[in-house]
Amino acid sequence: MPIILKNVNFAYAKKTPLETPALRDINLRIEKGEFVGIFGEKGAGKSTLMKLFNGLLRQDSGSVSVDGLDPSSREVKRKVGMLFQQAADQLFCRTVHEEIAFGPTNFGFSKEETEERVLEALKAVSLDREVLLRSPFSLSGGEMQRVALASALALRPDYLVLDEPITGLDPGGKTETLEALKRIREQGTTVVTVTHNLKGFFPLLERVVLMQEGRIVFQGSREEYLEAGCGPLPPVASLMRELKNRGLPVNPAAFTVKAALEEILKAKSAFEEKT
Amino acid sequence: MIRLENVSYSYPGGTPALRNINLEIEEGEFLGIIGRNGSGKSTLALHLNGLLRPEKGKVTVRGLDTRDFARLPEIRKLVGIVFQNPETQFVGRTVEEDLAFGPENLCLSPAEIRVRVDRVLAETGLEKYRHRSPKTLSGGQGQCTALAGVLTMEPECLVFDEVTSMLDPGSGTAVLKRIEGLREKGKTIVYVTHNLEELHAADRVIVMEQGKIVREGQPEKLFSDLPGDPGLALPSLIELAAQLRAHGIHVPWEKTRSPETFAEEICRLFSKT
Repeated sequence: MPIILKNVNFAYAKKTPLETPALRDINLRIEKGEFVGIFGEKGAGKSTLMKLFNGLLRQDSGSVSVDGLDPSSREVKRKVGMLFQQAADQLFCRTVHEEIAFGPTNFGFSKEETEERVLEALKAVSLDREVLLRSPFSLSGGEMQRVALASALALRPDYLVLDEPITGLDPGGKTETLEALKRIREQGTTVVTVTHNLKGFFPLLERVVLMQEGRIVFQGSREEYLEAGCGPLPPVASLMRELKNRGLPVNPAAFTVKAALEEILKAKSAFEEKT
Repeated sequence: MIRLENVSYSYPGGTPALRNINLEIEEGEFLGIIGRNGSGKSTLALHLNGLLRPEKGKVTVRGLDTRDFARLPEIRKLVGIVFQNPETQFVGRTVEEDLAFGPENLCLSPAEIRVRVDRVLAETGLEKYRHRSPKTLSGGQGQCTALAGVLTMEPECLVFDEVTSMLDPGSGTAVLKRIEGLREKGKTIVYVTHNLEELHAADRVIVMEQGKIVREGQPEKLFSDLPGDPGLALPSLIELAAQLRAHGIHVPWEKTRSPETFAEEICRLFSKT
């Protein structure tokens, strides 16, 4: 069962002079097991949208359901794990162990069960057991980000919803976090991420949702998105598009350096044959 | 402009953050500093106007030693720093007040402060926000306010520590353009980042690792050496240009700056053959 949003509208500060519409007529379906990227400029409504998935915000009209359940239900809080921007700011415990065990303990799982989940979550983000007794604040940016991920994973969520999970990390930390997310997705968790980092996330994404001024203006597969060229593209894909617009026979869906290299070399030999 | 001689520094109780750094920053230069988290680049930046002072060695700004407390006001007038998170840098209730804070501390006359604040507001396009609280601005506007707050002090050298890392790409590009504009006005720019894409305009780049400078050079030369360095991701267009070169397609460095210029160059090369 997926996350389904139907005709959803939402405004902040309703019925005050400061009323600001944030989401307009949103229709969205997130299937289980997908890796979905939500793109859009600042203020497009991306972060607002994700907060509807686990009932942190409630729509003014329309409907939201998660696996057929209302997002305000307790079960949905467990089903949908969420990390906000600068997840490291959400860490607050004295040790990494306490941090990851916090969720399961609050849900009333037994000590043994909690322990098992802590170790499983730690493994999922490839952190060593020796960090368990360390303070989360003594870790590197990439490690802190992964501890935050692990603490969400300890509840074994069906959906992991993330807001800019690699912003502010150095390239090493970015790669570590992206690899962890890739594995999490491979193990069957649906991952939905709001991001500006096209270069980092593009290889992982299966579906793209593009937002503009509170509306969804595009949703489709990664290839359809590249083909449509309606929103921001990773640098290599923009190059392909530019080349295509200039009449070179290249595939605009190439977005990796390797694919682009092949496309350009192919275009070159096609060109040489012609002349 | 700034000279670091055998500078070492450790945070209290921590591992050494800087190990025997020697560096000379020239007047009017745009120097890029890259390195992973924890490589010491921010610690280095904090030494440039005496916010941190070296444990060993010395830092001089136009000959003024940062260990000399009496000289710190002069040094801070010369070198201003802008940090990563704009919100932690605001002191005023309004943008205007925030911009006046620096010059007030330099004990300038109210008339002079007025002139400077108005000029910087105009230059940075912040006039329409002058009576807003800086906390209500967007990330890009906020970072621009933080930069403006340093500009009112009229420093000769500006140090930027990961100023775009929390901004969306559009606002990041706008802030970067503004910084490149300052360089054209003759200011010395020190730009700390882990995004190599932002250093296209730099005159010189240094790479830091474990508190040491491990490489140094013009971005063009340096980046062609870097592939394979796991801690520093090469911009994809630069990587593509390097791989094309191996196949006899030479896209010059300046053309790797944007997809448009890159595509133009490819088409030009193809139509020539």
